[in-house]
Amino acid sequence: MTAVGRGNADAPDWAAIRAVISKDFQAVRRSKAVVLPMLLVPFFLLVVLPFGIGLAARSVSSPDLHGVLAKLPGDFARPILRQPPREQLVILVDGYLLAPLFLIVPLMVASVLAADTFAGEKERRTLEGLLHLPISERDLFYAKVAGAWLPAVAISWLGFVVFAVVANGVAWPIVHRIFVPTALWGVMILWLAPAVAAFGMGIMVRVSARARTAQEANQLGGAVILPLIFAAVAQSTGLLLVSLPLALAIGGVVWILAVALLSRGAARFTRDRLAAAG
Amino acid sequence: MEPVALAERSRTGARHNGPTIEAWDLSRRFGEVWALDGVSFEARPGEVIALLGPNGAGKTTTVRLLDGVLLPDRGGARVLGLDPVTEGTAVRRRTGVLTEAGGLDDRLSLVENLVTYARIRGLPAADAKRRALELLDRFGMAGQAGRSAQGLSTGERKRVALARAMLHRPEVLFLDEPTSGLDPAATRDVLELIGTLAFDQGTTVVLCTHFLAEAARLCRRVAILERGRLLAFGAPAELAARLWTGLPVDLDLAGPADDRRLAILGALPGVMSVAPSPQGATVVLPGREFIRDLVATLVAAGAPIFGVIPRPPTLEDVYFALTGRDGAES
Repeated sequence: MTAVGRGNADAPDWAAIRAVISKDFQAVRRSKAVVLPMLLVPFFLLVVLPFGIGLAARSVSSPDLHGVLAKLPGDFARPILRQPPREQLVILVDGYLLAPLFLIVPLMVASVLAADTFAGEKERRTLEGLLHLPISERDLFYAKVAGAWLPAVAISWLGFVVFAVVANGVAWPIVHRIFVPTALWGVMILWLAPAVAAFGMGIMVRVSARARTAQEANQLGGAVILPLIFAAVAQSTGLLLVSLPLALAIGGVVWILAVALLSRGAARFTRDRLAAAG
Repeated sequence: MEPVALAERSRTGARHNGPTIEAWDLSRRFGEVWALDGVSFEARPGEVIALLGPNGAGKTTTVRLLDGVLLPDRGGARVLGLDPVTEGTAVRRRTGVLTEAGGLDDRLSLVENLVTYARIRGLPAADAKRRALELLDRFGMAGQAGRSAQGLSTGERKRVALARAMLHRPEVLFLDEPTSGLDPAATRDVLELIGTLAFDQGTTVVLCTHFLAEAARLCRRVAILERGRLLAFGAPAELAARLWTGLPVDLDLAGPADDRRLAILGALPGVMSVAPSPQGATVVLPGREFIRDLVATLVAAGAPIFGVIPRPPTLEDVYFALTGRDGAES
């Protein structure tokens, strides 16, 4: 048996980081209390909703969206108004309105996993054992962040693939082409979703430091999701439109906030602080 | 000592000569409360020392400070010649800790609990699993290696957690209440294991406990803590010598000695003090060598003497004398 030499103390210990990520992933996979809420919301948003919208579009011969679209700025409404009337409902909802709402998925999944990995370790009294291991605070922190962020992004992307299949499949009889993803969806998936997941992580790291249980952290962290839901509602009523450049800019801002929050979280993630709080 | 362990130790650098653990004025405050206040002690290679004290005495805080998990507000320590504050990772690479809670993840199987820690400690995957299974077998848990940690009894959890603390063959083992919640058989097994680790393998063991009997059985030296302060550190006999002079000897006189007999006893050569007891009397002599003369004098005087029992102070006596508590916790 050999104990692997760790070389430079400042270099990340990738084996240890992988072991922590793998442990968190295995543990979460077996926890119904974590997995179920994490999958229910994506299932509703990305499967039930597009399925229902598609069926509604198919059952109504010619839904009149002019009233709704007329209230939206021209840049936003024009490409939808150019489509045949039967296609406008699914393209408006699946192609545009659901996109910001989709961000709830990475945010929620990242939040639930972060609460489990940070506050949950305290609750299960498994944190102290980790603190006595030869892994640096930085490596332990980023392993835990990665252990929640990677599944959040993976579930979001996988959820989007399912959404695209459902949306295009149900609407195929009236649209006759693949209309999702749109460019806005592309930005949401590749740029904003990972940023929002990291932002949610950053918030939950702070919240978990104060919470004693994962449930308490989730309750406190719920406040993070509300602004996003308001933003999505605002988007759908035309109060706040997310155009492509705006989505890119918002993504940039969210990334900056996420990095700032996580850097601050990393600085406060010290053995001394964690053990003293425990 | 196992050859592999020796080889591993040679890779961690030359073994530290001198005390394995040195702590001086070690202090830590939480808010306004000093959880540990000016504690100094040492442990030598292969020695088992006990940190004795009730809950809140500062035992766990001491372990956390020595393993570089907490930072001291005053004083310092060296473990295996390393400073836990600035070389914490290096310290933790060579120490193993059994925390009071055990800290097993209920969602992982027993072997996964061990393998995760072994991997974090740098063992390759195959070695990690082999070592985990080997230790589970040693602790009688091999048959349950694949089951979840949920539902394990307290004793089983302790055994698995102890196996996990030993994955990398640590040179220093911190055991925080290793036998609390264990049945007598499991307690005996754990104590035997600790003895084997120290005496056969040279592991230095720091045993945090409030069970005086196990400390008395395993430890040559004890540190008695109360409310964060070190009341005493040393061998129980040394501590007793500091507290009391002389050797108490119980005399069985077939009944409590009356005043006349007590006066006679008190006048005998070497008797430092005398007090009545239910069976007769207890005299304090300067040492064991005075017992023979005492008995000879009593027999010559025709006193009805049926038994003589030297009763040197035990660790329990020392502990309760220092803490001023009664014997309820022993």
